[in-house]
Amino acid sequence: MKPIQQMEPLSPTAFERLRNNNIIQAWLVLILTLCFGSSLAGIQMTLGPKIEENKLNETLEKIPELILGAEGAQKLTESGEKLDVIPRSFVVDKPGKKAVYNVYEAFDKDKKRLGWVVKTGGQGYADRIELLLGVDPEVKTVSGIFVLEQKETPGLGNKITFEEWRGQFKGKNTETPMGVVKGGKAGAGDINAITGATISSRAVTDIVNMAVADLKGPLTANAEGGK
Amino acid sequence: MADQPTAAERFIQGILPENPVYRQLLGLCPTLAVTNGLKAAITMSAAVLFVLFCANVIVSLIRNLLKPHLRIVIFTLTIATFVTFADRFLAAYVYQMSKVLGPYIPLIIVNCLIICRCEVCASKQGVVTAGADAIGQSLGFCLALCSIAAVRELLGTGMLFDIRVLPVVWPDWVIMVLPPGAFLTFGLLLGLVNWYSDRRAAAAGGK
Amino acid sequence: MAKEIQIRESAEAPVIHVAPSPHLSHTAQTTRTMMRDVLIALAPVTGMALYVFQAYALRQLAICVIGCLAAEWIFTGMRGRRATLWDFSAAVTGVILALSLPGTAPWYIGVIASFTAIGIGKVIFGGLGMNIFNPAMVGRAFVMIAFAGAMGAAGYQDASSAVDAISQATPMDAFKQGGAIAPLSALFWGNTNGSLGETSAIACLIGGLYLCIRRTASWEIPAGVIGAVVVLGGIANLLNPESQWTVLHHILGGALLFGAFFIATDPVTSPLTPKGKLIFGTGVGALIMLLRIFSGYPEGVMFAVLIMNSITPLINRWTIPRPLGGK
Repeated sequence: MKPIQQMEPLSPTAFERLRNNNIIQAWLVLILTLCFGSSLAGIQMTLGPKIEENKLNETLEKIPELILGAEGAQKLTESGEKLDVIPRSFVVDKPGKKAVYNVYEAFDKDKKRLGWVVKTGGQGYADRIELLLGVDPEVKTVSGIFVLEQKETPGLGNKITFEEWRGQFKGKNTETPMGVVKGGKAGAGDINAITGATISSRAVTDIVNMAVADLKGPLTANAEGGK
Repeated sequence: MADQPTAAERFIQGILPENPVYRQLLGLCPTLAVTNGLKAAITMSAAVLFVLFCANVIVSLIRNLLKPHLRIVIFTLTIATFVTFADRFLAAYVYQMSKVLGPYIPLIIVNCLIICRCEVCASKQGVVTAGADAIGQSLGFCLALCSIAAVRELLGTGMLFDIRVLPVVWPDWVIMVLPPGAFLTFGLLLGLVNWYSDRRAAAAGGK
Repeated sequence: MAKEIQIRESAEAPVIHVAPSPHLSHTAQTTRTMMRDVLIALAPVTGMALYVFQAYALRQLAICVIGCLAAEWIFTGMRGRRATLWDFSAAVTGVILALSLPGTAPWYIGVIASFTAIGIGKVIFGGLGMNIFNPAMVGRAFVMIAFAGAMGAAGYQDASSAVDAISQATPMDAFKQGGAIAPLSALFWGNTNGSLGETSAIACLIGGLYLCIRRTASWEIPAGVIGAVVVLGGIANLLNPESQWTVLHHILGGALLFGAFFIATDPVTSPLTPKGKLIFGTGVGALIMLLRIFSGYPEGVMFAVLIMNSITPLINRWTIPRPLGGK
């Protein structure tokens, strides 16, 4: 059966046609969009730089501690001095892909290079772990690590952020990759795993090992050639 | 319009009798996600207060210009704008907290609580009533979030507002700061609220 | 007043057992006799736990059984029901819960687990017969996540213990984290470390076979679990032939047999029909292997049982027996 045909609508007047036009109906939406859009742009322009600064500061604040250690950083703040930090980025060719590292180069007031801070990350137990890794100018020893972001299990894996655990990395030799040992019996080149969170411990150690292996060449070459 | 609640009624209703979380079961996403600490819960509530208040006032101002089939677009547009304000503002001035809350601030856009208040109250009533309604509902939301967060933070970490309340020997119930803890706490508190209001209703009926 | 009478009536009304046909074979079975059978079947496991872990086992059993009975009494009291202590179901939950915890876990873990098991696992759903999830496993999952430190690797090890077994890592842990292989005989007899009830394969087998012969537990579920583990363990072995953790290790190690015979067979939370039970068992076994091989946890019995519990209603719906002559 054929559906019932709709009746031809009466031909609308020009004014009515204009009123029923989709664009005209949406005049309020359009005006609001304009107002809101411009105010958002204004907000972004005023607050944008501050947000960027916050993000950068989070990294920069940690650099003295990672290079000089907690006490050294304390002294530095007391003396009112600041480290000169130059952000750089290194591209490392790896089989199949290129890895880009953001590296911060730290100098003291006499332009003597104190060390490097590398921003790196990798897969943890729950989610990506982002961390900062400090090394000495010749990339011989690790001067400290700091965990920027992690979502490891509270009470177990999130102990990677604790000073007692991450402090272990300080002073470790970078000649050979660090291993992870359970039960608190770590040797000189090893890291003690967190009880019940071996995977998180291993993830952080692997990230550090990987960054050191990738950047050792470029950084030392830069250190020699850059003088 | 005569049977619409007044501003004072709207305000009172939002806090307990029509509590957005415990009574209307609206806005459960942040309720479950950001209640692992009191600080996060209060920041979240403040952001909701700001967004809801602004959205309610704007919608109430333009309520006579709204076309029925375009109103949802306008609500969403208004809400999204103020949510972005709140998000940028937090990122600029309380950066750490904005990192903790993560995607849940932008997700206020899809919080049904706000669009519900725009629809139910702001698009029908005057600015004062809409504003009072927004504040009342936000206080109710804050109350609900804080009640859940207090239980979770206390049991999960032994702290309130990041300050240790329970002795150090307290074994942290880690599950409480994880998502399952949110569901359990919310379910039990919701049951408690229902049980209590049932009893009150029974007592009132018996008189 | 009227409400009160109604509740009392419903509490005293005869319990109508709903079961698939044939309806004549199980007439003598009541909740109480079933639970008594389970307790008898748990005796060898409990005995083994007491032998290996001694005071630790005794303490944990006492805490969990008393905790579960107290929780049952309090929570059923709150719901205005007659306390159901004497059908032994709470006691069985307590014993299974205790046997699934490590002996060295602190006292509050047993108490919290018991109250969660009975309160959130059972009474909140309406009491015995209404619960979706195995109560003992709900309790264990809660404390497992809440106190991972005291329940996981560290909980099993206590260097100052007089019993030699407690100072070792559990066989599953040692394998997952260090690649160490426990001897099969140790897994079979049970002088290794682990949760109280899971160490001895022989004790689980004796108790489990008793349950199956008494028809208190249906043989389909353990058969499904073990079958799936054998098949998947075999595949894993073939793919990775140099691994020393063989199919037999998979079966005898960890909580597999304990879970297959005592936890998965809970009549309330497993499907009704034999076909459904077989599906359920196979699912549990497959999930156990999945979790053991790919997850961060060394053992997956608890999560496997809980996940399969949640789809039990679905399995029941799939396997409705067709009546004679029906289409």
